[in-house]
Amino acid sequence: MRRQGLARYFRSGAIWGFIVLELIFFTVAGAFLSNSDTGFLDPGNMLLLLKQSAPLGIIALGMTVVMINGNIDLSVGAIFALCAVVMLDSMNWPILAGLGDWAIPFAWGLALLTGMGLGLVNGLIVWKTGVDAFIVTLGAMLGFRGLVFMYNGEQPTYHLNWTMVDIAEAGIFGLQTPVLVFAACILGVWLLMNKTVHGRNAYPVGDNREAAVNAGIRVGPHMVWNYVLIGFLTALSSITFYSASGSVNPNDGMLYELWIITAVVLGGTKLSGGRGSVIATVGGIIAIQLMRKGLGFIGADTAMVNLVIGSILVLVLFLDRQLNRKSKQDLRI
Amino acid sequence: MKTMRFSALTATTALAAALAAPAFAQDDSVTIGITQNNVGVDSYQTTYEQAFIDAAEANPDVETVVLDAGGDVARQIAQMQDLIQQEVDAIIIWPTNGQAVIPAVREANQAGIPVIVTNSNIAEAGFDFVNSFSGPDNITQGSRAAEIMCDRFKDLGIEDEAQIVEITGQPGYTTAIERSDGFQDRLPEVCPNVTLLDSQPGDWNRERAQQVMEAFLVQYDDIDGVYSGDDNMGVGALNAAIDAGRAEDIVFVGATNFAVGYDAMERGEYWGSIYQSPVDDAEAALQTALDVLAGEDVPFFNYFDTPKITQENMDEFDRPVF
Repeated sequence: MRRQGLARYFRSGAIWGFIVLELIFFTVAGAFLSNSDTGFLDPGNMLLLLKQSAPLGIIALGMTVVMINGNIDLSVGAIFALCAVVMLDSMNWPILAGLGDWAIPFAWGLALLTGMGLGLVNGLIVWKTGVDAFIVTLGAMLGFRGLVFMYNGEQPTYHLNWTMVDIAEAGIFGLQTPVLVFAACILGVWLLMNKTVHGRNAYPVGDNREAAVNAGIRVGPHMVWNYVLIGFLTALSSITFYSASGSVNPNDGMLYELWIITAVVLGGTKLSGGRGSVIATVGGIIAIQLMRKGLGFIGADTAMVNLVIGSILVLVLFLDRQLNRKSKQDLRI
Repeated sequence: MKTMRFSALTATTALAAALAAPAFAQDDSVTIGITQNNVGVDSYQTTYEQAFIDAAEANPDVETVVLDAGGDVARQIAQMQDLIQQEVDAIIIWPTNGQAVIPAVREANQAGIPVIVTNSNIAEAGFDFVNSFSGPDNITQGSRAAEIMCDRFKDLGIEDEAQIVEITGQPGYTTAIERSDGFQDRLPEVCPNVTLLDSQPGDWNRERAQQVMEAFLVQYDDIDGVYSGDDNMGVGALNAAIDAGRAEDIVFVGATNFAVGYDAMERGEYWGSIYQSPVDDAEAALQTALDVLAGEDVPFFNYFDTPKITQENMDEFDRPVF
């Protein structure tokens, strides 16, 4: 039992150990390979890391909840783009354009409604049809992306509002808006998962759906709420990012679902559901962003970054499997 | 190049470098960061990157941080922020999206880092934050195409009666509009008696251009010349004319030479175009950045030369890589 506890402790701490390793590696390698005059561990660089982690990170929190449920959402990248299209395009509508800067909260509200609405659609289909979430959201990924292209063809949708950019780039103590939003979301989802009945129910729903039904959990509505939650968080992420950039390409957000799932899995959430941690997901996101940033810092190209992250993902899953097996053997003895 | 970090432009950065690592600071050396649009997507961009790296390596005073956004706007914005954070001396950006990068460009500008836009410009709202645009001049490409067309008509002795049609790029694209304007403004100056019968968009697409040309061939019995916004569309038009058996009587001119156009010129089916080299593009961007850093008076629109290419002089040029 004690050794199983140790293994578990090691698992939950592994992602942070990995982050420390990355930091050491890039600091040392950066001293030789980088053309930059500032070090990798420079506080400004670390704050930037958090800021750049925010868009994927906010969505990953929702993905953690959905994956603990034993479901998945492949449509987040398309929802991310569609929310941005709605937000930026709505500011050009005559009814909102007349409001000046007061159009901003309305545009944000519309984007949030869009995200939650699309999440609701996903959740209801998963609940009512009983089709596997992977298939449902795979369809949604294609369908929602189709909506993005129908909206404005191949053209980017844009609305540059400097007030909105300033809000998105504002900050307290060097923590910029995206970091603050990310922090608030981490706190919110952590409270949801650890201090509410709904959150605690998420684990049995993913672990053993039949037992959860027998225990009186209304599994269908439970899952629908979580899809609405991930839709909301995706919209929030979209708002945070596109308020600062003011323009969305119809291709934006493609492959986000894969980066996010990678981060969640790196953080130790089981693909089959029933186990996972919000805080470890944050670690997973930071680990990936650190890898992207660090490899860029030492001069590796984009293709190399993808190769390395893919390899690490497989390695981590393999190690996880080994650790799990060992702990089970311990139990048998 | 990339394997060394010993750089410093000013006393302050030299001091910072000296504190951060055992730097053997060289005076007069500059670090230039570049974030490109999408290197792997076509051979123009791949050749551009290689040419940029080669040009930087040839210059002992230049160190580069070469980044590729992979077509992802978010990644490009993150790369801009990284370059600002790394305090490079100048940033060259090939925008993934002419609108979305404006706030990031403003951030660099506010941090006191000069920004040079390369190849395709950002939207006008961002001009205040950019030091210079280095790229091809699409107006000139259009007007030179008009000259090629006119010179050919004069050789054939039909400059007083020729009738032509035009196939433009995607409506709304600045490049498409400029190449068309340049052509339509210049043609009456050199060949006042040539008639432009019609102008329709081919959307940069070969199949679309072929359909447009098929319609033209039905509509007009006498077509002596076709001008298209690039060779890709021009070859589409050529194919339509070959199918109709009328290619022999028509002079085909494009505004940017593609490999398909070059090959068609070699076969004698296509007359001429404008040669735009990714190597020139990359070298011009680097030189513009260096000139800005040297405090020289660089024009805001700093165009590199895109010469005329026809069947007559095509052996002076390599086959385009795109």
